[in-house]
Amino acid sequence: MKYFLYQLKKNPLAIVGIAIIVFWLFAAFIGPSMMSFTHTQIDADHQMARPGTNGHLLGTDSLGRDILSRIVYGSRSILTVALLTSIFSTIIGILLGFSAGYFGQKIDALFLRTMDILMAIPPLVLSMVVLGILGDSSILSLTIIVSIAFVPATARVSRGVLLTEKSQEYVMAARIRGESHLYIMFIEILPNTTGPIIVEATARFAYSIMMVASLGFLGVGLQPPTPDWGMMVIENKPIIDQAPWTVLFPALAIASLVIAISIFSDFVSKVLVHER
Amino acid sequence: MNDNILDIQNLNVHFSTFDGLFSAVNNVSLALKKNESIGIIGESGCGKSTLSFSIMGYLAKNAQVDGSILFKGEELLGKSEKELEPYRGNRIAMVFQNPYSSLNPSLTIGFQLDEVSMHHQKLSKKEARAATLQALEMMNLGDAKGIVRRYPHQISGGIQQRICIAMALLCKPDLLILDEPTTALDVTTEAVILESISKLKESLNMSLIYISHDIGVINKVAQQIVVMYNGEIVEQGPKKEIFENPKHPYTRALINCMPRGGVVKEKTKLNTIAGYVKRRGANEGGCPFSDRCEKKNEVCEGQYGIKEVSPRHLAACDRAYATDIPDVFAAKLAPLKRQERKQEEEQENLLQIKDLHKVYGTRRKVYAVNGVEFAVKPHSVLGIVGESGCGKSTTGHMISGLYKPSKGNILFRDTDISLSWNKRDKETLKNIQLIFQNPGRSLNPSHTVERIIGRAMQKLANITDEKERRARIIEILKKVDLGVEYLQKKPSQLSGGEQQRVAIARALSISPSLIVCDEPTSALDVSVQASVLNLLNDLQIDTHVAYVFISHDLNVINYLCDYIMVMYAGKIVEYGKRDEVMENLHHPYTEALLSAVPEVDPTKQKKPVDLQGQLPDPAKKIQGCPFAGRCHKQLGSICEKEFPPMVQLSDDHYYYCHIKK
Repeated sequence: MKYFLYQLKKNPLAIVGIAIIVFWLFAAFIGPSMMSFTHTQIDADHQMARPGTNGHLLGTDSLGRDILSRIVYGSRSILTVALLTSIFSTIIGILLGFSAGYFGQKIDALFLRTMDILMAIPPLVLSMVVLGILGDSSILSLTIIVSIAFVPATARVSRGVLLTEKSQEYVMAARIRGESHLYIMFIEILPNTTGPIIVEATARFAYSIMMVASLGFLGVGLQPPTPDWGMMVIENKPIIDQAPWTVLFPALAIASLVIAISIFSDFVSKVLVHER
Repeated sequence: MNDNILDIQNLNVHFSTFDGLFSAVNNVSLALKKNESIGIIGESGCGKSTLSFSIMGYLAKNAQVDGSILFKGEELLGKSEKELEPYRGNRIAMVFQNPYSSLNPSLTIGFQLDEVSMHHQKLSKKEARAATLQALEMMNLGDAKGIVRRYPHQISGGIQQRICIAMALLCKPDLLILDEPTTALDVTTEAVILESISKLKESLNMSLIYISHDIGVINKVAQQIVVMYNGEIVEQGPKKEIFENPKHPYTRALINCMPRGGVVKEKTKLNTIAGYVKRRGANEGGCPFSDRCEKKNEVCEGQYGIKEVSPRHLAACDRAYATDIPDVFAAKLAPLKRQERKQEEEQENLLQIKDLHKVYGTRRKVYAVNGVEFAVKPHSVLGIVGESGCGKSTTGHMISGLYKPSKGNILFRDTDISLSWNKRDKETLKNIQLIFQNPGRSLNPSHTVERIIGRAMQKLANITDEKERRARIIEILKKVDLGVEYLQKKPSQLSGGEQQRVAIARALSISPSLIVCDEPTSALDVSVQASVLNLLNDLQIDTHVAYVFISHDLNVINYLCDYIMVMYAGKIVEYGKRDEVMENLHHPYTEALLSAVPEVDPTKQKKPVDLQGQLPDPAKKIQGCPFAGRCHKQLGSICEKEFPPMVQLSDDHYYYCHIKK
């Protein structure tokens, strides 16, 4: 912790990143209750209102819905999906990658080929197809599908870190103590791999936000009336020349969050390297 | 003054880190004359390498340097990278510890060496190649024309290091710095390299700085010796003076704690230095060694200075310590613990190995162990010695169950246990324990000491009650000289010696009958090595456990073992009781190995047997004597064609050679 603060002092960029993340977390938790408009409320008198006019801080869209409250409300769903996705894909990745790397040989070969096949399909395309077939995107289905799409990447990372640890002498010591495979994998090895795995998980967090926003943009994300940042961008695209703020602010929201998390992820890896 | 190649004055190097400023080199002054060789000695963390890096200007960004480094009268400190370029590699050359990482793996040897003279001396490609070949020949590398076409990975470590030295010599530097160049190599290779360095120094007229933790090595190459402790020079002077009349307690302790020829466990305990090198903050006063010094008094806390003892002999200890004991080698060593060794001869074997083989790989086979047979008696110590790649570790790992033998049997108390760990029963796992070479890697970094030792007890000794277990752990920690405060520590909070003690405690905690020790002291400093060896010896007397002790260091083997087994290329070349093997050498390889061990005592210098050639290719099955290709006593074609017969000298002393006594 002391080292964390020391590094923080040396990395002003990381402070900015963390501040932006904290801002969005606040927005998601208590933001909606602070809004003077709800996200579905239509202010019919002020359609496409400019930012700062008529009580609409970031303006309104073509229907007269408040952009700010839609962004704030939308942060809830996007953060929920992204957080759950990074957790699930990491856990599944650890389970798959560890067993493949630990047992090696045929299991590992089978694992690698399967992952190669899955990786050949871009995660975005995979999710789009599946969501398109299902025709119904809820937070739950979105989470499951994006998680699955990310598993090949997280599993490979887990397998890699396991392989470097597996040859360590403490693992040999555990073996000739007669420990079970599960004990060696999860009690001996896992605690020593948390560094790279946490870094990968935070990076996945940023990727999932991009992914959810992209799916929203492509129209297969969360369905209205739930506001979705990606969907807001595409909805307002036709009026971009009359009311550019309707596209600009949701896009800024996506960009700021993704960049902030990426900065944070880099910073975490720097701190964790020291811990090792 | 003017004949000084190098003149370092009041050099300080501090590193600013997260934990604050710490001092790596503290007020070091040093002069090196033309054609002189200085050996810098000290344990790890004493600032030897930092000193040499500051001469080359290779320090990390967080270093703060002040003082002065004059090279032929020119100030090196404060020069920019560009200004340093004409010096580095050209007038000052350096050879590093690890040749594998010093050579670029994707370029041929020839290209890398040519580059040096093309860059510094502006030679044409042809001239450069001629210079390269000449330099390689200087290093006694027979097939220079063949070597230049090869890549580093196609060449063994010893030859790689000789190539690195040849590269350093290309521009005929005025000063050559060698930073532990032979530490990663086998003794036989080390002996060859040390010989050629001494010869070249004479013929090339250069000055030498040789850094090592091994007094024996320094003894062979240096005229002047500098002893460093915790960033400070504690003593310096001519070699003879330092060895025969050391003044500083640290120098004395360092010389004394090396196990050397003739020192055996029955006669004496090894001398040790308590504690370990502590990191020093900047501007900390007092003698750096005071916290570990036996002769410490109030004076040590205050000001002290380095004083002249005799011309060119300086020591940084205030008291005329030397009057206490006139000769280090006659120094009284610590008294002995009781030695009640039972006569083992009549007892049956604890462990019996029959025709043991290990072949790695399926497509490209590596024959690691090729039919070894031996026995381990209860309560005895069997030492397995040999160069790297001789199969000694593989043998140890098969005994402890890490690998399953490809062929042959391991009998433990007459039960066949030639299975791998997952097929062995609990009782066998408990009875045979393994101590690894690198204690930092053999203890799980995220578990506490209590958990590391406790888990072994819980798993193999069936001690499930937590309170009882904790009591037992405290008891066992006490046996390895560690206190209760270590229970909750994690391995990274311990020094190397403490880590190895925990590893020993883990092995001992479940009262095994046999412990396989795989080079347990080779990653440790000499002072720590001595204390670990003492501990292993004491514990063996107390618990009557047997050891299979694997090491490349004959002095260590000689000190601790009752029986010695010499291995070469996966085969036993000689086996016998320690005294019989050490005193009457029979196999030429044993002889070569012993002659290569650097001797600490300058009066007992000997000439190493010049071993030519390489270890046999482990991917091929050997028909004749595995040592034939390098043997200095080779008889002729019989050695290459026929495996030598066993020559039995006594009940338990035999060797394999065509030469008959």
